[in-house]
Amino acid sequence: MNIRQAVKMAWKSIIGKKGRSMLTMLGVIIGIAAVMTIVSVMSGYAAKTMEQFSAMGSNKITVDIYSYFYEVDENGNAVSSGRDYFPDLYAYCKSIPQYIVGVTPQAYASVNVVYGTKNSANFEWDWETQTGQRSPDVYYVSNQYSACNNLTITKGRDLSELDIERYNQVCVMGSQAAEAFFDSADPVGKILQLNGQSFEVVGVYAPRITGSDAQSSFIDNIIVLPYTARRLLGGENISSFIVKAKDGVSTTEVATRIRGFLKGLVDPSMGDTWVQPDDRWQQSMNEQMGMISLVLGGIAAISLLVGGIGIMNIMLVTVTERTREIGIRRAIGAQRSSIVTQFLIEAAMLCGIGGVIGILIGTLGCYVAGNLLFHMTIYPSAAVTAGALGFSVLLGLIFGSYPAIKASKLQPVEALRAE
Amino acid sequence: MASLIELKDIYKIYGEGLESEVRALDGVTLTIEKGEFVAVVGQSGSGKSTMMNVLGCLDIPTRGDYLLEGTDVKELTDKELSRIRNKEIGFIFQQYNLIQSLTVLENVELPLIYQGINADDRYDMALEALERVGLSKRVKHKPTEMSGGQQQRVAIARAIATKPPIIMADEPTGALDSRTGHEVLEFLQQLNREGTTVILITHDNGIAATARRVVRLTDGKIVEDKEQEVDWL
Repeated sequence: MNIRQAVKMAWKSIIGKKGRSMLTMLGVIIGIAAVMTIVSVMSGYAAKTMEQFSAMGSNKITVDIYSYFYEVDENGNAVSSGRDYFPDLYAYCKSIPQYIVGVTPQAYASVNVVYGTKNSANFEWDWETQTGQRSPDVYYVSNQYSACNNLTITKGRDLSELDIERYNQVCVMGSQAAEAFFDSADPVGKILQLNGQSFEVVGVYAPRITGSDAQSSFIDNIIVLPYTARRLLGGENISSFIVKAKDGVSTTEVATRIRGFLKGLVDPSMGDTWVQPDDRWQQSMNEQMGMISLVLGGIAAISLLVGGIGIMNIMLVTVTERTREIGIRRAIGAQRSSIVTQFLIEAAMLCGIGGVIGILIGTLGCYVAGNLLFHMTIYPSAAVTAGALGFSVLLGLIFGSYPAIKASKLQPVEALRAE
Repeated sequence: MASLIELKDIYKIYGEGLESEVRALDGVTLTIEKGEFVAVVGQSGSGKSTMMNVLGCLDIPTRGDYLLEGTDVKELTDKELSRIRNKEIGFIFQQYNLIQSLTVLENVELPLIYQGINADDRYDMALEALERVGLSKRVKHKPTEMSGGQQQRVAIARAIATKPPIIMADEPTGALDSRTGHEVLEFLQQLNREGTTVILITHDNGIAATARRVVRLTDGKIVEDKEQEVDWL
């Protein structure tokens, strides 16, 4: 008897008892759907997060330099929150161009942005409905900010070294921020009011994420100013910097070099430093996501196991019910192996069909869970889908083997006597 | 040349050594030649069904040798025994033993499927067998939609579809009325005339009269083995 015949027989038998087949499959359906949803949502979320990371550029090293002490004037008021280390860091990075592409402060400036009737203080963003307008993030940066963050100019010009040196009141806008204030009009040459001070827009960066994901990621909703503008607008001392290493250079090695340099620069009694490659952070996040997936996936896998035992149960009942049929088949020439094949294939098909239904529900589950939890559309990967289908068939083969072997062990004469 | 069937001192004992020991076959020695029409006759409990199960390789004797065309069936594997049941022997049972979930055609095709015959040839062979029993017009029906006589004719078609050299019929008319039973016996005689060896198991002396040779069993022993004038139908 060949496999095609066995598949035909199994299909007839499954279709012949639709209600029971459906109930039998339920365990597998739920198990597969749960595993699919959990694994796909977790890995999908991780992948999209990584996508944003890489959109902002890889090979980055975060350098934080904190000062313990404030400089005070004769009246005891803080005039500056410590020394400005950036010129030293900038000079050092410039001295090792074989390792480093650029260096920039990345300091958040808490400023209000106004253009005409548009005021960032009135911007509102609703997380639930993913609608509205989020107020832009304003950063104090150097002219190397774009090089460090994968940004390219699409209109006007980038910040220049002169802008920094001369305390120019200029800014460059990210694509989302530009759209928020100017819609489709050209922002270049327009004047923004930042905390009441006039800043001229000199350029606009090209969007880094396009398509449906752009809305929910805010990495292009930025306005960057020369860091020297802090003198005008105030704010905390700049303590956070981004160093971008060259492609193919080990970020760990560059981080070690910078640590060595800072050791000589920052007096340990005056401040502290922290240097960490960004991919380290990505790595640990990946590990965490992997752990969570493993635990949740494990729980879902237990439900699959229970589903498999259900299959075994029903297959045993089926074998008992069809003892006479087995006897007839044996009497007219079916070998033991034919009987094993028949029942194994029936179990595998039952699980396989359950698997397909589970995959469909799991895909829907991914879509719903992705949107509810992370506001992103996630579909299961081809590998996960193929794996789920393969695993469900395997489940049928494993849990179907005991009933199938039991069926084949029946003596023809005894099987024929069964009612 | 070896006889077709040779039973040598065959025992089939249930619960051997116990007080409740039952000797279904108690030292049976019997030879059947090719082309014979043998009726095995006996009362209920005489061991005649056990005899057919042993002859048909459906059951294994407790002791004794069974040579089928000179081969000791004790030495055969499950695969080889399955092949014998499939190719050498056609079974006809009292209760028809058709698979209810399959159509008439599928039932008749079943032994051919286990032979690995391709779908086209299988269909032709099954249809030919059904034509012989006069049921070629009802191939798509389920057994439950047919009368007892028709079901038994399907069972006969299944038994002859592989053109086996031996037909074993266990009370083939037991569930039928006398007219359809008569047709079944007539058909067996016809097969025998074409050269098929027929072994007919029955409790009915009248039915046994259709056979050339009668083997009478009582309590698992052969008490009579005679040739007789055939009651041709």
